[in-house]
Amino acid sequence: MSSQRKKNFQIEAFKHRVVVDPKYPEKTWKILEHAIHEIYNHNASGLSFEELYRNAYNMVLHKFGEKLYSGLVTTVTSHLSEISKSIEAAQGEVFLEELNRKWADHNKALQMIRDILMYMDRTFIPSTHKTPVHELGLNLWRDVVIHSSKTQTRLRDTLLELVYRERNGEVINRGLMRNVIKMLMDLGCSVYQEDFEQHFLEVSADFYRLESQQFIESCDCGDYLKKAERRLNEEMERVSHYLDTRSLDKITNVVEKEMIESHMHRLVHMENSGLVNMLVNDKYEDSGRMYNLFRRVPAGLSIVRDVMTSYIRDTGKQLVTDPERLRDPVDFVQRLLDLKDKYDQIISLAFGNDKTFQNALNSSFEYFINLNARSPEFISLFVDDKLRKGLRDVSEEDVEVVLDKVMMLFRYLQEKDVFEKYYKQHLAKRLLAGKTVSDDAERSLIVKLKTECGYQFTSKLEGMFTDMKTSQDTMHGFYASHGAELGDNPTLAVQVLTTGSWPTQPSATCNLPAEILGVCEKFRSYYLGTHTGRRLSWQTNMGTADLKATFGKGQKHELNVSTYQMCALMLFNNANRLSYKEIEQATEIPASDLKRCLQSLACVKGKNVLRKEPMSKEIAEDDAFFFNDKFTSKLYKVKIGTVVAQRESEPENQETRQRVEEDRKPQIEAAIVRIMKSRRTLDHNNIVAEVTKQLQARFLPNPVVIKKRIESLIEREFLERDKNDRKMYRYLA
Amino acid sequence: MIDPEGIETLCSDMEVDHTDVRILMLAWKMKAEKQGYFILEEWRRGLKALRADTINKLKKALPELEKEVKRPSTFVDFYSYAFRYCLTEEKQKSIDIESICELLDLVLGSQFHAQVNLFIQYLKTQNDYKVINMDQWMGFYRFCNEISFPELSNYDPNLAWPLILDNFVEWLKAKQS
Repeated sequence: MSSQRKKNFQIEAFKHRVVVDPKYPEKTWKILEHAIHEIYNHNASGLSFEELYRNAYNMVLHKFGEKLYSGLVTTVTSHLSEISKSIEAAQGEVFLEELNRKWADHNKALQMIRDILMYMDRTFIPSTHKTPVHELGLNLWRDVVIHSSKTQTRLRDTLLELVYRERNGEVINRGLMRNVIKMLMDLGCSVYQEDFEQHFLEVSADFYRLESQQFIESCDCGDYLKKAERRLNEEMERVSHYLDTRSLDKITNVVEKEMIESHMHRLVHMENSGLVNMLVNDKYEDSGRMYNLFRRVPAGLSIVRDVMTSYIRDTGKQLVTDPERLRDPVDFVQRLLDLKDKYDQIISLAFGNDKTFQNALNSSFEYFINLNARSPEFISLFVDDKLRKGLRDVSEEDVEVVLDKVMMLFRYLQEKDVFEKYYKQHLAKRLLAGKTVSDDAERSLIVKLKTECGYQFTSKLEGMFTDMKTSQDTMHGFYASHGAELGDNPTLAVQVLTTGSWPTQPSATCNLPAEILGVCEKFRSYYLGTHTGRRLSWQTNMGTADLKATFGKGQKHELNVSTYQMCALMLFNNANRLSYKEIEQATEIPASDLKRCLQSLACVKGKNVLRKEPMSKEIAEDDAFFFNDKFTSKLYKVKIGTVVAQRESEPENQETRQRVEEDRKPQIEAAIVRIMKSRRTLDHNNIVAEVTKQLQARFLPNPVVIKKRIESLIEREFLERDKNDRKMYRYLA
Repeated sequence: MIDPEGIETLCSDMEVDHTDVRILMLAWKMKAEKQGYFILEEWRRGLKALRADTINKLKKALPELEKEVKRPSTFVDFYSYAFRYCLTEEKQKSIDIESICELLDLVLGSQFHAQVNLFIQYLKTQNDYKVINMDQWMGFYRFCNEISFPELSNYDPNLAWPLILDNFVEWLKAKQS
């Protein structure tokens, strides 16, 4: 290697001109043109790809791209024109097949042509912003073949005709359809839409409009819905098989509109087969279908829901206002529970547990349960019945189920304080008569009430249970310390009731028989000895007694009676005949109670331990009573006491109502004062709204009563009217 | 101190009936506390305010006094005074219906003839209220001033009107139909 400096390399242009054959482009083009012909004539096998590629390459290189391109356009166009004519000439069924075949051919040809012209595709075309070869091929096909005046309409009509036939039950060539439709899609989104889809949607709408009209005249609701569902599924399947997926929503909308939306009202209200009929007859499948179909259209579900709601409200209203139903409270409540179960089932099985339907059901129940002012009383009586006997031999879980259902009804009550009053009364009777089926069940319900309403609601109820337990202990203590000396005396069982916790009864006069006075006094002094500062008063209207009686032929029976009844009966130890007046004087029991008591002893078949003259049902002042020597009963123990919870008579009901109203006044006042204390000033409407909100867990206060309480508070100077703004009230500290 | 007898003499001297509303106005001007009596301080106060030192001057001052009382700005004060003046017992807060009716007629009868007559009628026939308190008394005056009569078109029972007026309006509407 020489160590000389390297010489720079230089490239110089040719010094002599390259002679280009003027006929070169034409010659080369002819080769390519010929190749295109051969390709379209299915003669491509004889061609040399490499040679053709090189030719195309050279043309572009030597700046004859334009000639190449325009030649391509012309040649392909002329081939396509011929193809178009042959397609136009095709008869009947063959038309579509011919089109499909020629399209496949064209695609294959196009592929080959593009491969050959790839160099031009990649260089000349982008730089001149011309349409690439493949796309050009599609556009030409579109313009020359598809949009030829004859073919365009014929294609559309043929496709729609096939769809129509398929809808009418014929089997069509789905593969062919798919290919042709795909062709339209490949030609561009707007081609598919304008040449096919929009017409498809139009005729479909007409088709379904007509069909739905026919169906609705001839089918009942259930059948119609089945048909509509079938059609809907058909269309979905059609799309998946041979249409563009983007058509799915569009065609389903058409079906939904024509078959469902247009006839919504008529379907729902159809006589003997509409929604109401489905609900009444528990037709889960049909109503489920209606739900699923109507869900697809705007306002569809609200119609279903509204019809269901108004039907439930009507049914419920009828139930609670039917005088027949009101005679049996337990049955009344059971029917309510059955109604709720029925619709819970329907909503779960047919309406997919739709929350809005649940809410509609709840609000309907809330509406009609409160239409009957005695609902709270009846629900308490239902509970009483269950806890006294209904839940005997029922498993613990089932007990919970029943109690939960009761709680559900309780929640619907607006006047929860009325329920509380009755519940207390009935509970007291159950406890005192020892008539509860299960202590656990009682406790469980109290816990549920506490969870629902707070500690305050149940604190007194719990107090009642405590008293019962304490009394047991007290009795043990009493007999432990005095047992010996009381040997011969009648056995006493005392329940000591704390006044605040138990339902208040005015204590009436009653002279206890001499036989028990002794032991009663001993108990009183025992109790007061251990509990100073308390006062005891016998609640003679709530006690019971077991009497051993011997009748005429020596039959012995044990009579289970109320305290009043005991007082009356004991008198007959010393007299065979007593007039009403004499009994009244001796016992000093209030007249109405005494009359009821004597009625139950003398006028009831099977329990008539006394005989009355005259034999009438009513007790009159000068009636005479005799010990009934001839009394018989199959049972040794005869129950005559009437301390069981019962539906109140009208006057008793009025009385309870009044007491509830009285109890509400201080609660309303307390609420008003609480609110005003924190707000300082507030206008009338807002006070009413706030008070209502605060008390709604217990009852719904009457705005007039609220106003009256406000005025009373103004008079007592807790509040005053604002001097400037007459709508406002002001808190006076 | 002037006692009821003395007041009667005063009235005849002024040639005004002792049940006339102007005597009440006089009492108001004096800020007299006890019905039927004027104590010296009150007497002096009233006469000084009226610029009268003789019975004649007092009599002549009456029309002026009437005008003053009837002015809307002072009437409210007089109206509420009229109620308080009738509370004779120590802790008394309300006046019986009978007396209220008379007082209403005396104090408002000329100004709101129709309303007063009907309200008196209502009070005498209803059973809910046996007495009227200050709040209800003032409420009625507002009622006369603000509510169109006899149409009652702008009365809204949902506002803070005393309940007795709600009932009155209900009674009126029932009567009208």
